[in-house]
Amino acid sequence: MRMNLMKMVSSAALMLGLSVGGAMAQDFPNKPITLILPLGAGGSHDLNSRVFTSIIPQYLDQAMIVKLMPGASGQTGTAAAATAPADGYTLLFSHNYFDQLQQHVKDLPYDTTKDFVTVARLNSARFCLIVRADSPHKDINGLLEFGRANPGKLEFAHSGQWGAGMVPGARLLQWAKVNANMTPYRGGGPSLRALLAGDADFTVQLPSTIAGQGDAVRTLACVNDEPVVGSPPTFKSIGFPSELGEMHRIVMAPRGIPADRLAKLREAFAKMQEDKTYQRMMSRLGEDTNLMDGAEYEKLRPVQSDTYKELVEAMTKG
Amino acid sequence: MEDLFISMGQGAAILFNPATLFITILYMIGGLLLGMFVGALPGLTTLTAMAILLPIVFFLEPIFGIPFLLGIYKGGIYGGSIPAILVSMPGTGAAVATTFDGPALTRQGKGRKALEMALFSSVAGDLTSDIFTIFMIIPIALIALKIGPPELGAVLFLSLIVISATGSGAFVKGLLVMVLGLFIAMIGQDPIGALSRFTFGVFELRSGISLLPMLIGLFALSELLLNIEKKASAYIDAKLKVREGERLKWSEFRACGRTIMRSTAIGTSIGIIPGVGQVVAAFVGYAAAKNASKHPEKFGKGELEGVAAAEAANNAVNGPTLVPMLTFGIPGDNITAILLGAFVAVGMRPGPQLMAEQGPQVFAILLAMVLANVLFLIVGYLSIPLFARVVRIPKSLLMPLTIMFAFAGVFAVRNNPTDLYILGIFGAIGYILRKYHFDVAPLAMAFILGPEIERALSQTISLSKGNLAGYILFDRPITVVILVLTPLIAWYLWRRSTKLRRESLAMTGQEE
Repeated sequence: MRMNLMKMVSSAALMLGLSVGGAMAQDFPNKPITLILPLGAGGSHDLNSRVFTSIIPQYLDQAMIVKLMPGASGQTGTAAAATAPADGYTLLFSHNYFDQLQQHVKDLPYDTTKDFVTVARLNSARFCLIVRADSPHKDINGLLEFGRANPGKLEFAHSGQWGAGMVPGARLLQWAKVNANMTPYRGGGPSLRALLAGDADFTVQLPSTIAGQGDAVRTLACVNDEPVVGSPPTFKSIGFPSELGEMHRIVMAPRGIPADRLAKLREAFAKMQEDKTYQRMMSRLGEDTNLMDGAEYEKLRPVQSDTYKELVEAMTKG
Repeated sequence: MEDLFISMGQGAAILFNPATLFITILYMIGGLLLGMFVGALPGLTTLTAMAILLPIVFFLEPIFGIPFLLGIYKGGIYGGSIPAILVSMPGTGAAVATTFDGPALTRQGKGRKALEMALFSSVAGDLTSDIFTIFMIIPIALIALKIGPPELGAVLFLSLIVISATGSGAFVKGLLVMVLGLFIAMIGQDPIGALSRFTFGVFELRSGISLLPMLIGLFALSELLLNIEKKASAYIDAKLKVREGERLKWSEFRACGRTIMRSTAIGTSIGIIPGVGQVVAAFVGYAAAKNASKHPEKFGKGELEGVAAAEAANNAVNGPTLVPMLTFGIPGDNITAILLGAFVAVGMRPGPQLMAEQGPQVFAILLAMVLANVLFLIVGYLSIPLFARVVRIPKSLLMPLTIMFAFAGVFAVRNNPTDLYILGIFGAIGYILRKYHFDVAPLAMAFILGPEIERALSQTISLSKGNLAGYILFDRPITVVILVLTPLIAWYLWRRSTKLRRESLAMTGQEE
């Protein structure tokens, strides 16, 4: 009797363990996944998320639901994702400036590096520095030399303090030891207007935006790693470490996520990358589809943090 | 100019192609109905609906997909005025000015009249501004480009003065409430350096006070509280007999003709200036109508002209707002940013080259906007009886339902529990202020405009590189003109309002 009881208990425990283990491995995800956006409707993160959340369910067998939580420069949504259960059902769609730069300029109620692990870098946006077509600055070196000779004279219109349109430009100016006057605008559009209207000497914009401008603007340099034939010089070609001027759109999960679930999510993103419809929709939006695996992106994060720290210290000192 | 007409003709040929026209119309009607639905329910915003449905557009022909989105856009703006008129609940900032007279009309049993007036004046304002935009697209683009932070700041400051000077109630009380609004807007992060202000270390306050809970609290919850207080049982029973009321008479619409024309002109001009928007247009249109009226004291107590003034003005903004997006690829707000995404996705990349390379397609879409207005007139008119029935819901059900929609809607926007507290707190603030005869509109207005003015001022200071007066005086002539006009207009409005008050006091004195 006693033996039987022991047997029963142990076999029950075994079965329970097996079924739990099985549920962990095979039944994830068994309900829709929530993707928190710490940004508002209508921005580029929103548009990108609308595309990939409509494709990825094919590879996860579950829906992915976008939840917009804007506020406090991304802090509201990021904080909500940081405190969500680490079960893989809550993800965060963020970018590298919220992820690694913000901690150096703000007192945050979370630690992005400790609290989040990268599922995938969906894509990146490589910015270009542009001037008006009638600008006297013909190339990037000329612009920087003029800036060095005339401190405070150059006017840089950017898309917002510590944002994706500001950091590459600010980093370039810091590296080239140019002291320019920087005015923040509310997003890329208004900063482009400032350039076109003559309120600014240069601005930093996405290639997709520049493409629509035709002859009205001249691109002086882009944050491409490799020069493209017929395209303007890269930041790298003038000696500037360009790889940090990209905006990475990243899907993050709370750090405690079980390894098999993280692997499953990463696999789904890798499969989606091969999807023809996904590729076509993204190219129609004018966005890249340069997926980077989460594990690989993890290596970039500490490097970013150091560079941003250096930039912030240099900029807030004087 | 001749090229422009050729493009226009080709555009008309694309839109009115018999093979596709019917399908385009169906998509547009679908968009309009959907827009009205999401606009009418607080929490479901036009913006979110457009963002969610954008991927569908990728798979559609441009002449189907873009009109579909435009339908949602146009339907949504009118949809927002439906709860504003019926239950004093503005779903967006643009509908706030409609709550001044709409709910009062509903209480008088003229809900249907008000809804129809809102529809007709919306369509009239929108249609006129769209046609104006089609013919004036190049000049509008050139003006829009000239409006930088200094000009924008000056225009917004002038708007704030005009609005606070023409509010209901005492001028000083309006100013006090306005200052309160400016202060509340400062809670959270400053618009330039993103530094925290007045947050007292509370994380939830870092994102500031959000607009929608504040508006619904100030206007809808406070209205409910005031109504409940007025002898609840009598209020609830008496209104059971209220009917939808009669339809709008042609003579009533014609009587508002001047007001609609004035508001359309105001709305269109405001639309040309990027960054000002529908909210300001509705307020300024309303203020101007009140100022020009022979009986301004009736405004705010159920005046059809008030509804017409606000609705014509906020819709007239739509046409010109699209111009910077189409001609320079610069979206003025989030809605135009989504439209920009849609244009790019269907292979029309907005910018200076778009007009040259794909002029006919652009005009086809602009003409589709005109067509959308005509369709909207029909769709809206047919749906009004349905909405007007809301007043027949017994108050004992309608009031709890309104409260439920207020809280659910506010939560749905950002999924943030803090917004529920904000709603409750502003319901109480609105109730107290209105009980002591303060007009809450200047608070909402200052709250919306405050950060914009601050941003523009900070940008101007940055642009001036330390020499503010010299920069404005010598580099910004338009700003100088606006800044000189501001005190003159303020003085005129102040004189007029004191004169009117003295007259009305004298009149009541005689009657007694």
